[in-house]
Amino acid sequence: MNRLAELIVKLKWPIILAVVALTVFFGMQLKNISINSDVLSSLPDDDPIAKLYKNVGDKYGGNAMGMVVLETDDVFKTEVLEHVKQITDSLKITDGISTVTSLTDIIDIKSTEFGLEIGKLVDEYELPQTQNELDSLKAYVNSKDMYSGSIVSEDGTATLIMFTLLDDADKQAVAADVKNKVEQINLPEKVYYGGLPMMMNDVADLIMADITYLLPIVFLLIAFILFLSFKSARGVIMPLLTAGISVVWTLGLMQVLGYQLTMISNNIPIILLAVGSAYTIHVLNRLNQTFDKDRKKAIITAMAYIFIPVILAAVTTAIGFVSFVFGAYLTMIRDFGIFTSLGTLFALMLSLFFVPAVISALALHKKNVSKEQYNNTQKNNFLSNKILRPLVNLLFHHPKYTLIAWGALIALSIGGMFLITTSVNMNEYFKEDNPTRVSEDVMQEKFGGSQPVFVVFKGDIQSPEVLNMMIKTEDYMEQYPEISTTQSIADLVEEMNNAMGEGKKIPTSKEKIEQLWFLLDGQDILSQLITDELDEGIIQSKFASSDSKEMSDFVDYMDKYITENSTEDCQISITGMPSVYVRMSESLLSSQASSLIIAILMVLIIVGLMLRSFSKGVYATIPIIATIAILFGFMGYVGISLDIATVLVASIALGIGIDYSIHVITHFNHSMKETGDINKALEDTIMVSGKAIVINVVSVAAGFLVLLFSQMVPLQNFGLLVALSMIGSGLGALTLLPVILILTNRKKQITVK
Amino acid sequence: MKTVKFSVLVSALFLLIGFNANAQDGNTILKKLDEVMYSPKDMTGNTQIILIDKAGKKKTREATTIQKGTDKRLFRFTAPSSQAGIATLSLPNDVMYLYMPAFGKERRISSSVKSSKFAGTDFAYEDMEAKLFVEKYTAKLLKTEGNLLVVELKPTSKKSSYSKVIVKLDKINYYPTYMEFYDKGNKKIKEATYKFEKIGKYWNAKEINMVDLKKNHKTIMKMSDIKYDTGLTDDDFTVRKLKQ
Repeated sequence: MNRLAELIVKLKWPIILAVVALTVFFGMQLKNISINSDVLSSLPDDDPIAKLYKNVGDKYGGNAMGMVVLETDDVFKTEVLEHVKQITDSLKITDGISTVTSLTDIIDIKSTEFGLEIGKLVDEYELPQTQNELDSLKAYVNSKDMYSGSIVSEDGTATLIMFTLLDDADKQAVAADVKNKVEQINLPEKVYYGGLPMMMNDVADLIMADITYLLPIVFLLIAFILFLSFKSARGVIMPLLTAGISVVWTLGLMQVLGYQLTMISNNIPIILLAVGSAYTIHVLNRLNQTFDKDRKKAIITAMAYIFIPVILAAVTTAIGFVSFVFGAYLTMIRDFGIFTSLGTLFALMLSLFFVPAVISALALHKKNVSKEQYNNTQKNNFLSNKILRPLVNLLFHHPKYTLIAWGALIALSIGGMFLITTSVNMNEYFKEDNPTRVSEDVMQEKFGGSQPVFVVFKGDIQSPEVLNMMIKTEDYMEQYPEISTTQSIADLVEEMNNAMGEGKKIPTSKEKIEQLWFLLDGQDILSQLITDELDEGIIQSKFASSDSKEMSDFVDYMDKYITENSTEDCQISITGMPSVYVRMSESLLSSQASSLIIAILMVLIIVGLMLRSFSKGVYATIPIIATIAILFGFMGYVGISLDIATVLVASIALGIGIDYSIHVITHFNHSMKETGDINKALEDTIMVSGKAIVINVVSVAAGFLVLLFSQMVPLQNFGLLVALSMIGSGLGALTLLPVILILTNRKKQITVK
Repeated sequence: MKTVKFSVLVSALFLLIGFNANAQDGNTILKKLDEVMYSPKDMTGNTQIILIDKAGKKKTREATTIQKGTDKRLFRFTAPSSQAGIATLSLPNDVMYLYMPAFGKERRISSSVKSSKFAGTDFAYEDMEAKLFVEKYTAKLLKTEGNLLVVELKPTSKKSSYSKVIVKLDKINYYPTYMEFYDKGNKKIKEATYKFEKIGKYWNAKEINMVDLKKNHKTIMKMSDIKYDTGLTDDDFTVRKLKQ
């Protein structure tokens, strides 16, 4: 270790140069970094249902559909129709928009006794003016399934203007354009936006908002805490500099490897600032406590001592971040884990190599003080006198009470664990006043929900068998209360057959169906329902509830039907948000279990190896496991559910929180060797390491608490829970762990005697 | 000195030509266009419609066509085989009859939706409408380009989905070679190129190539075996004939 430390001091300039070069390189990548606000792109390709959902959305254009909702007291007023027409006309000539469908621009097919009459539902050039005309339009719209509940809400208070995007359109740019244009019209009606492109636009805004508002706050907060702790420029600048560089490297690397910022990974900078500064703090702390007249020698001594503990702290944290790579459902969570753990390792390397190199190169040494002076100033402050000292007294006099208190807390928490719920509905991830969430609520209330359901049929789409199966399936689906409308090519074929005067049913011969196709060819809607090759078609529907239980019941209801009816010539499968959510919910629980087990085992092995004792490894993990139990209990009682972000907390808490135990155990061992007196060793440990732990807990917790101001609800909860875990594991390391050490060592001493 | 004189001469010449061309009334040009397009009494021939999507995938349909005057037309499809025998009869006032052999009966289809696509092609009903150009548009001559007159057409009906159509016509024979269609945001959305040949005394559009610029979709309509003025009568355009 000494050798390595000497080498660092010797190679200080090459190290500094390399860091500067890398930072410039990665820094240049930052200007190209882009935002991925497409939530669906994060669904995993290795889950057949999620993959099918993405495919259906791409193949049938559902992901490229947006809508503007107008809400008012009564849609059937000339003035409102006029506004619908204004929006329709404006969207029609918007770049990137392919088709627009609305009340003032929708084809109406009437079959009469002579044949077919194709016209517009409303003549956009002669909008109905008289009450009579308006009333008859209302009555006609209400009588047709095609319009009622899909283009106008059943209560007649809301109407949709739907638009499809061209394949090569920039979804976000079109969405922004649409919003702009509609806002310019300045309508008296309430306006909402729906569909993936509009949602992506919102999410992109949220991502930017989180970065631009939260990052400076975290930065200033940590600077303030660092200043209070170190009272020196070096103590503020060096930790922030290393954390900052590691942020630049991490984001730069993401860009180089072709990853984009998502609504989770945009918080990597905030988290790295909170976590990554800790390693430099340790290094500086050790330098402050090394007293040698020869400054170069002081650095080498300090580095040799701090190497192992800092590596241990960083590696365990990185394990915490990386542990959910194996269980996370959404790819954006997986990417977040990988890059945050890489960032942690970058921060580690910088604090071990770059910090001593800079200090030695730029002669940023601390003022020379003697060990006595230092200890005096350190021991006589608020923290030491009012908190740590009484704590030591308490622990020595009442070790069993401490143990009982923890035991009671854990028992209480275990009760709370059973109350934990999962939340996978992405809508709930937005704050209640967020426009995306508000729109989704309106869609749900007025238009039977916005959770898409697709049933996919593989087979000859022009065969009577497949078409009849589609009709049968639609009937079956509509028996379910949460399904109000279904749409498929089979409905259109029935309509056309009716137009030919043969009744509203699927023709019995394929020949007839092929000829009916003549009437359908070239209609825009076809590409939303069938493939060009005519070997696959879908039923489109919407599910009205976002309740987990109801979604799960519906998936079971459909699965049963599909198993009974799917055949070689007509293969049926289902996907859609209810199916995806059910999978996501299942995976949340299993990924929580697997990531936690992986993290605990890895940490146990590493800590055990480093401390060269399995039992000490176990002692070290006890406070953090107790903390995790309390964490889950808290979630259960307070009602914070397990979601895409809170599922990460336990493993991260483990990774960061274990550090406190490691510090306590190493310091205790060290002192035991020196003094051989448990009481003295423990007092020394708590008074010196305890102080570092408290500072660390405060700065990391404060950093994570800033996430309370995030735009995403899961991240707010995530920040709160990580902060809570930091406090819990810090407290565990300073109370529960010392008690365990007292009790086990006393026993040992007794047996030795 | 010589060069200056020459350029003066050239610009004077251009002015002269320009002046001459501008002197022609836009509507006169439209009338001449109508004469070229609609002067045969009747026509028979074969039509091939090729649809090409943006991936380059082709779909072909074939039909025999007969037409009388400007507003009576009968299409009888011969390919693809699944749609062979389907026939459409277009009569004045947006009335169309459709016959499907598999059903053995005809249905009347009336459509007032001008902007919708004609049978899956990139032609709108509006483009296929057998209505005289002078009735559909007002015209303004913009300029001449070599052998071509460039004319701007504005739809007379506010129901048209176009804000304007730019046409390039052969200066001597008045058949169109190129048209571009602008939407109401004044953005070019479609363009068509025409190949004309003279059959007997009439000019025939033997190939029309229509491209939907938004969707990158293309329709090629080819005419062959054209015969003019064979003496078709109104009896050839009845529902009874449609079903044969």
